[in-house]
Amino acid sequence: MTVRVTNIQHFSLHDGPGIRTTVFLKGCNLNCPWCCNPENISFEIEKYVENGLKKEFGYDISLNELEKEILKDEIYYDNGKGGVTFSGGEPLLQIENIIPLLKHLKNKGINICFETSLSINSNLVSMAIDYIDELFIDIKILENEEALNVLNLNLDLYLKNLEIINHSNIKKENITFRIPLNNEYTLNENNINQIINLLKKYPYKVQIFKTHNLAENKYRLINKKQVEIKELSDNEINEVYDKIKEITGNVEVISI
Amino acid sequence: MNIYFKKIAVPIFNKAQKSNLGRKSINIAFLTRKFIWRFNNTSTAGIYLVKNMHKIFNTNPKLNYGSQIKELLDKVNINIADDDFIFFLDEFKNLSYNNTKIENISIDYSKALNNSLHDFKEFYSQKKANKNIDFIQDQLDMLEGTELFILKIIDAIKSSNRQDKDKYISFFENIINKKATHFEEALQRILFFNQVLWQTGHLLNGLGRLDKILNDLYYEDINNNFLTKEEAFNLIKNFIKSLHSYYWYKSNALMGDTGQVIILGGKETDGTYFSNDLTYLFIEAIKELQLPDPKALLRVSKDTSRDLIELSLKTMNTGCGSPLLSNDDIVINKMIEFGYDTEDAYNYVVSACWEPSAVGKGIEQNNLNFFTFLKPLNNIFDNESEEFINSINDFDKLFETYKTYLKNEANNLIGILDGLEFNTDPILSMFIENCNANQLDISNGGAKYNHYGITTVSLANTVNSLYNIKQFVFEDKRFSLAEFNKMRKNNFIDCDDLLEQLKNNPKHFGCDDEEIISLTNEIIDSLENCFKDYRNKFGGQIKFGLSAPSYISAGEEISASFDGRKNREPFSTHISADLNKDYTELMRFASKIDYDGCKFNGNVVDLMVSPNFIKNNFEKFADYIQLSIKLGFYQMQMNVIDSKTLIEAKAHPELHTNLIVRVWGFSSYFNDLPLSYKDLLIERAIKNERNLAF
Repeated sequence: MTVRVTNIQHFSLHDGPGIRTTVFLKGCNLNCPWCCNPENISFEIEKYVENGLKKEFGYDISLNELEKEILKDEIYYDNGKGGVTFSGGEPLLQIENIIPLLKHLKNKGINICFETSLSINSNLVSMAIDYIDELFIDIKILENEEALNVLNLNLDLYLKNLEIINHSNIKKENITFRIPLNNEYTLNENNINQIINLLKKYPYKVQIFKTHNLAENKYRLINKKQVEIKELSDNEINEVYDKIKEITGNVEVISI
Repeated sequence: MNIYFKKIAVPIFNKAQKSNLGRKSINIAFLTRKFIWRFNNTSTAGIYLVKNMHKIFNTNPKLNYGSQIKELLDKVNINIADDDFIFFLDEFKNLSYNNTKIENISIDYSKALNNSLHDFKEFYSQKKANKNIDFIQDQLDMLEGTELFILKIIDAIKSSNRQDKDKYISFFENIINKKATHFEEALQRILFFNQVLWQTGHLLNGLGRLDKILNDLYYEDINNNFLTKEEAFNLIKNFIKSLHSYYWYKSNALMGDTGQVIILGGKETDGTYFSNDLTYLFIEAIKELQLPDPKALLRVSKDTSRDLIELSLKTMNTGCGSPLLSNDDIVINKMIEFGYDTEDAYNYVVSACWEPSAVGKGIEQNNLNFFTFLKPLNNIFDNESEEFINSINDFDKLFETYKTYLKNEANNLIGILDGLEFNTDPILSMFIENCNANQLDISNGGAKYNHYGITTVSLANTVNSLYNIKQFVFEDKRFSLAEFNKMRKNNFIDCDDLLEQLKNNPKHFGCDDEEIISLTNEIIDSLENCFKDYRNKFGGQIKFGLSAPSYISAGEEISASFDGRKNREPFSTHISADLNKDYTELMRFASKIDYDGCKFNGNVVDLMVSPNFIKNNFEKFADYIQLSIKLGFYQMQMNVIDSKTLIEAKAHPELHTNLIVRVWGFSSYFNDLPLSYKDLLIERAIKNERNLAF
């Protein structure tokens, strides 16, 4: 059994508790204009040339090899304080393939985290929940038509999956919403109000961040053009912070 | 030092040392450099030197060394501070030397605290069978000179403006006839002997395990309400300031290279971890004072407390470069395996930078010379014929050839070490174990341990060069070995793409990759094999480590290399991997290096970290350090700096006068460094930020 990844990043400090290894799985069913990992969108392996060398984004790795790579830093996971984070792309798209790996990791007491947009078949979510210790869920656009047009996100499915998560055994304190903010797509009064309503219903932890254009080089390498998005000012993001702070104390501004 | 200048300067230096006039000229040359450091202005330095030329004094080399020390101390200009500790040096007065000076060690200051000069005098005056009259005479003359020097200091204190005359007079009187009885007195006594070491020409003087040595006197004073913790903290700060004084005079190869290292903490023989109030106070003082020197080394183990790790990390995060961490869980075992007695290994200190040694028990010349791993490889390709190179048709054959060349280089080095003659040294002999019992000067093998230590450079460049050859020539068959060599000899001109590939090979030194790790271990094992049966004239062995100061200067002598390094560019620094994409990989790599046998002479993982990165992830970074100790790094140090600040400081030094950076095993003001060091630090910081963009 193999799984398709683009990168395995050890010493990840921003993707969950403790010191972690983040596995970037290739393939996503969304197409967010601000995406900072464009090489993870297509499931196909993408060839490119850099410094005269032919290279590829994406490779298939056996579960055994992936487990070995993850366990290289086992000592740094400090008995479950840190662990592994599956990111992407949309990591839950490959959940069927990685279940045997998750079983092994679970048995070894490795903390498992996923970063998901939840816009996927609910079966995949149900399959994953028994293995998840920590979860990051994106909140992007909460208006039906726009979510579909801009992101290719099925909002009904998203909300259904959120309900599944909410009724699962995943500890509520281990679930975090991540909200990317930019004036072009997510930061408008209507969307923020929808977000606030959602947060009232699901009072999980919240992290908000400015989207950025730092992935420009990666877009260039795969012959894509990054949509120009202006970075928010500190004042703009602080205003959102204040609004969310009114309904939940557990909100922070992060930089990704 | 410029390679061409060095080729001319070294023979002149060696010849000059043999005459009085020559020695005086050398003194003037060194003083000129020190005054340039001191005044940061060549003409001011020149004028100062000319004005004071008449003060330059060298002892009479015809006298025995004890008498020369007496003569020297008699001439020293006494300079009593109005308050705080007394510490002064007379830069114009020198002891004459005929041979290699013994330096770069820490004496065991507890011997100075627990014995008076009279105790030593009594010992040397005892009637013994088979008395070594020359040795005893040197020791007694040296003691007499030291006692007279103290009496002169006491007279000077009496006529000084100090408010605490009586106290300090008694401190100095006690050096003559009593052991030290209070904390403050102990600090002053350490400073006094430290001063005598500097004044008598010893360089790179370590301070030893000060928290351990001062433990009893500190707690006695605290328990008897003779001292508060706050007073102790102030005393420690003043002590550090005194050590920092004459920074320009004490500096050796570069400004800041003083070798003044304070060893703190450490594992005990029963496996517990020792630390006390003083461990914390010394680190706090270093953090608060923000001086590049003296520096601290914290001995750590898996049982080092979290708060001590956090304090150390906070201190490192100020950018001061201290403390360096040395992992007792690894170092001590390697020392015992090499042959140190268990008790001595547990009580280890380091030489000026990081080289472990038994405190106060050996000649422990840990940085006598250095070995360049890349030199034998480049010798093959610089000197052998194309026909010979073409006959190397697989990697195994190349590696065997490399080992033969490496052995030749190692033998050359052994020849140099065998030619060493050390200068008679009554002061060190007084403090170093077994010299007194053997009635034999340390320079003649009187000490308990007589090992020679060397450092090594360019291991990373060699590993990467060999691996690139293996991959590009023998596996991918992109070109023949001779063709590859032609490009190298041509300094990779017009090979920009190839150069990038050579420099950025994903498999490189520092990778946690079995092939790279085994190649690294095979290379260092080959060097170990060259040294393991060697014994010097005193029966001591050779030890080496993988960290060396000379990564810039040694690089100036070596042609371009297959790792993509161009002609005369610097080598990589210690165990570093600026290409690595994360900090755990380098630690995993470092913990898999084989430090067995004689390979324990300082093995430092050198990390570049940006200050905000630590600040924003403090708890996790402290976890990282604690868990890395458990994983088993040997030693580690951090340069906490970002490239933007360094670039600004290079362009506008006047705005960054207090910017401190870690250089090899010491810290220095960035402004005081030569351009080549500034550029290398900037380059490393940029690479690091690019690869570790979180």
